[in-house]
Amino acid sequence: MIRRQRHILDFTISSLLRQKGKNGGLLLVYGVIVFVVASILLFTHALRREAELLLRDAPEIVVQRTLAGRHHPVPIAWMERVGEINGVTSLRPRLWGYHYDPLIRANFTLLVPAENQPPAGSVDIGAGVSKIRGAHPGDIMVFPGHDGVARSFAVREVLSGDSQLLTGDLVLLSENDYRDFSGLPSGQATDLAVTVRNPKELGTIAEKITRIYPDSRPIQRSEILRTYDAAFSWRSGLLLVIFSAAALAFAIFAWDKATGLSADQRREIGILKAIGWETSDVMLMKCWEGSVISLTAFLAGVILAYLHVFLGSASLFAPVLKGWSTLYPAFRLTPYLDFGEIVVLFLLTVVPYTVATIVPSWRAAVTDPDQVMR
Amino acid sequence: MSGAMISIREVSKVFNAGRANEFRALDRVSLELSLEESTVFKGPSGSGKTTLLSILGGMSRPSSGRIFLDDREMTSLPERFLTGIRRSTFGFVFQQFNLIKGISALENVMLPAYPTGEKFSLLRARAMERLEMLDLGRRAGTRVELLSGGEAQRVAIARALVNDPKVIIADEPTAHLDSRLAREFIDIMCRLKGLGTSIVVASHDPIVCESALAQRVVEMRDGCVVETGRPA
Repeated sequence: MIRRQRHILDFTISSLLRQKGKNGGLLLVYGVIVFVVASILLFTHALRREAELLLRDAPEIVVQRTLAGRHHPVPIAWMERVGEINGVTSLRPRLWGYHYDPLIRANFTLLVPAENQPPAGSVDIGAGVSKIRGAHPGDIMVFPGHDGVARSFAVREVLSGDSQLLTGDLVLLSENDYRDFSGLPSGQATDLAVTVRNPKELGTIAEKITRIYPDSRPIQRSEILRTYDAAFSWRSGLLLVIFSAAALAFAIFAWDKATGLSADQRREIGILKAIGWETSDVMLMKCWEGSVISLTAFLAGVILAYLHVFLGSASLFAPVLKGWSTLYPAFRLTPYLDFGEIVVLFLLTVVPYTVATIVPSWRAAVTDPDQVMR
Repeated sequence: MSGAMISIREVSKVFNAGRANEFRALDRVSLELSLEESTVFKGPSGSGKTTLLSILGGMSRPSSGRIFLDDREMTSLPERFLTGIRRSTFGFVFQQFNLIKGISALENVMLPAYPTGEKFSLLRARAMERLEMLDLGRRAGTRVELLSGGEAQRVAIARALVNDPKVIIADEPTAHLDSRLAREFIDIMCRLKGLGTSIVVASHDPIVCESALAQRVVEMRDGCVVETGRPA
């Protein structure tokens, strides 16, 4: 039984090699399609995971203040009345913002950590910042402040973490340094981080905050997650829609290749039947043929996509998928493989192609080999 | 092979039945073929020779009538069993040779035995033996499209022999050969006959019909057997 499989597989491979050009072209197109789809899936999934890691320790509610619909610093005095709301367990002001570095055309996120603040005149930086600025512990970094005057900071340490998205562009500094650098007056914060006792009361507490301060905008963690998710889904969807035209062309090509058995292919099936092959032998051969092509293309496409996304930073699609990333320091995504998605990709590519190969061959194989005699 | 017999009883074959282009290729043909002697079916094109050979060899089923190999009825056998009988009993040599292009002569000869799952080394050795028997050992590795017409036909004969069939069925085997190669083909068939293999040939080539191969001649016309006998 195994020997029969081996003989038929050997013949299948020699058959495929007989049409190197045609099958090589098919393999290339097929592999590129799998590569693109797998890249999109791996990339969006990795971004979502980064976002989840980012938000895992985020406060349950962030209170912002808006002025004419735009984000505006929050008076720290708000903490008193917000803290009196039943169910609020803790409250702290957050100081953070962005800094655009024209030298390297990148945005950094400046943040005052709640704990373990760097001493005055020093900063902790993310791996992305370290790499892009070539800065290491002990080095001096210079940033122009809000007034155009340069400030020097000594690098205390380079941050490490699960997520490059979380720490890649980060610059941590002390409160005084931040206020001096950004021009944010004392008595004001970027926003307020609120934690609550009962997660079921999040909506009610957010409502109460809005009632007390009508110009406030409380944002729940779940809303941020949904926004991330929608943004990544939308972007990946956009790419997939654009890409679907190519996929459709491939589908037509594959269908045509698979269904339109040439006279030579039909003749070959007839010869095999005439010399003693059963219909099941022919089907086995065609099954191997479809599997060899689709599995090779699938594995090559997925492996290349993995390397592209996690080692090559998805350089081909990142601008479209990340959107705002042109001003963002390059970061490397944490390698992560969702087997569910790989299985779906497998079912969407390998199975249809194999079936499309088998069906027309089955039609040819069940006809009498008699016509070969003629 | 003594006593082996193919019985054809009231066999008809209709193509495109019920359509405007319906064609009756065989019309209630009955015949007894002893496999101890070689038989030549002769007749003009369209007389039904190829259709009858195809039904005899289990490559096609009759529209009506029955075929027996010895006492076993082949007509209603499921495809799997019919293929098994075809593989073990018959070897085919086609008019166009029908070799698979792009692979070597040796691979072509081995092809009919692949589904048997026989050990590769044994299969290869047997295929080589068949090629050498037909003086093609040195051409075993050559792709078949590079062979001459005579060589290609000998590869087709070697392929027909690889499963040690009881009967070689050849359809118009000399149609694409010059007279020297046609005689060479007849010599090979006579040699196989001497080794105990039965030969059934369809041909309207006088070289075949008047050769030593024609121990029995069945003449066909318009789908019917019109005469059967032995040459004087």
